[in-house]
Amino acid sequence: MSEVFASPFFGIFLSIFAYEIGILINQKVKSAFTSPLLISVVLCMAVVSICKIPLASYNVGGNLISIFLGPATAVLALSVYSQLSLLKKYLLPVLIGTIVGSCVSVGSAYLLCKAFHLDYTLTQSMLTKSVTTPFALAISANIGGIPSIAVAAVVMTGILGAVFAPLLIRLFRVKNSIAIGVAIGTCSHAGGTSKAIEIGETEGAMSGIAIGLAGLVTVILSVFM
Amino acid sequence: MFAFLPYHRVRTINVTQGATNMKIMLQIGLLFGICLVGESISVFLPIPFPGAVISMIILFLLLFFRVIQVDHIRQKADFLLKNMAFFLIPAGVGILSVIDTLRNNILPLICIVILTTILTFGATAWTVQLVIALQDKISLAGRKKGEKNE
Repeated sequence: MSEVFASPFFGIFLSIFAYEIGILINQKVKSAFTSPLLISVVLCMAVVSICKIPLASYNVGGNLISIFLGPATAVLALSVYSQLSLLKKYLLPVLIGTIVGSCVSVGSAYLLCKAFHLDYTLTQSMLTKSVTTPFALAISANIGGIPSIAVAAVVMTGILGAVFAPLLIRLFRVKNSIAIGVAIGTCSHAGGTSKAIEIGETEGAMSGIAIGLAGLVTVILSVFM
Repeated sequence: MFAFLPYHRVRTINVTQGATNMKIMLQIGLLFGICLVGESISVFLPIPFPGAVISMIILFLLLFFRVIQVDHIRQKADFLLKNMAFFLIPAGVGILSVIDTLRNNILPLICIVILTTILTFGATAWTVQLVIALQDKISLAGRKKGEKNE
């Protein structure tokens, strides 16, 4: 039986099936908590844990899906290109926004880790939670964090951003599309960006730009971590 | 990778789309080629910088200098962008691999992730709005001054 689960088709099939269920539930119950991403991740986790399937087996297929994250990030260039005039006009707000946002992200993560008395390596693994995975991997290794935990923090933040972005927009009463996009990208990288694309083209493009900028700012900040 | 098959069929039937609509296989090849270049550059950079973000910059420059047109990769891009959440699923499931190490600290960690995400969102959004407001005010004042001088 274990050979069946080690087939790449298992991970791919499970993910697609779970995602379709997520979309179905989301159509029936419109709520932030029924995000297809959240539902499908929980479903896949449940199947893998309950059936005691090794994570490595799921990942044979799962890795094939993850490969597409790179190209999916790259094609955000299309959205950026179509929003070029807007970006030219508002380059300064976008830049200052990502710088302030990244500082708040790293700073608040540090202070909260201290408040919860987390140990040093765990704290260092949490500081990169708002940047996209490749950035987080490199930075966390440099500053004495545990890369696998850093990735877990990044992914949790991304899913959280995708789920709660609409609520956060209402909570902070943000009206401006540029502000919404930059904020989503800065706080929750590609995960949040997947939601920003759904909200609008400007939001998606700005969120995409913010992924790169926030990562760069955090690389610079990591000198002080 | 999976859903382009039906698209492919639709597009080959629909020849009226014109020559600008590159075949889906070529679109994939072009995009993956750009990603390969991005990843290669990333390996040689002195600072950690993800290949995906470099690929985004390369693709942007290619579009900006009109080396390629948006139509050349539109279908593939739409497919990827619309399904971005799906591609994140395996990363999410991967959290299982560290769940044992995190078991003792799982609640504080979730609190930290939630709080910092809220704070970062608010700080970024309000900063951007504030700077946009300031910028618009300055350019408006500048325009008024210009009108007076005339």
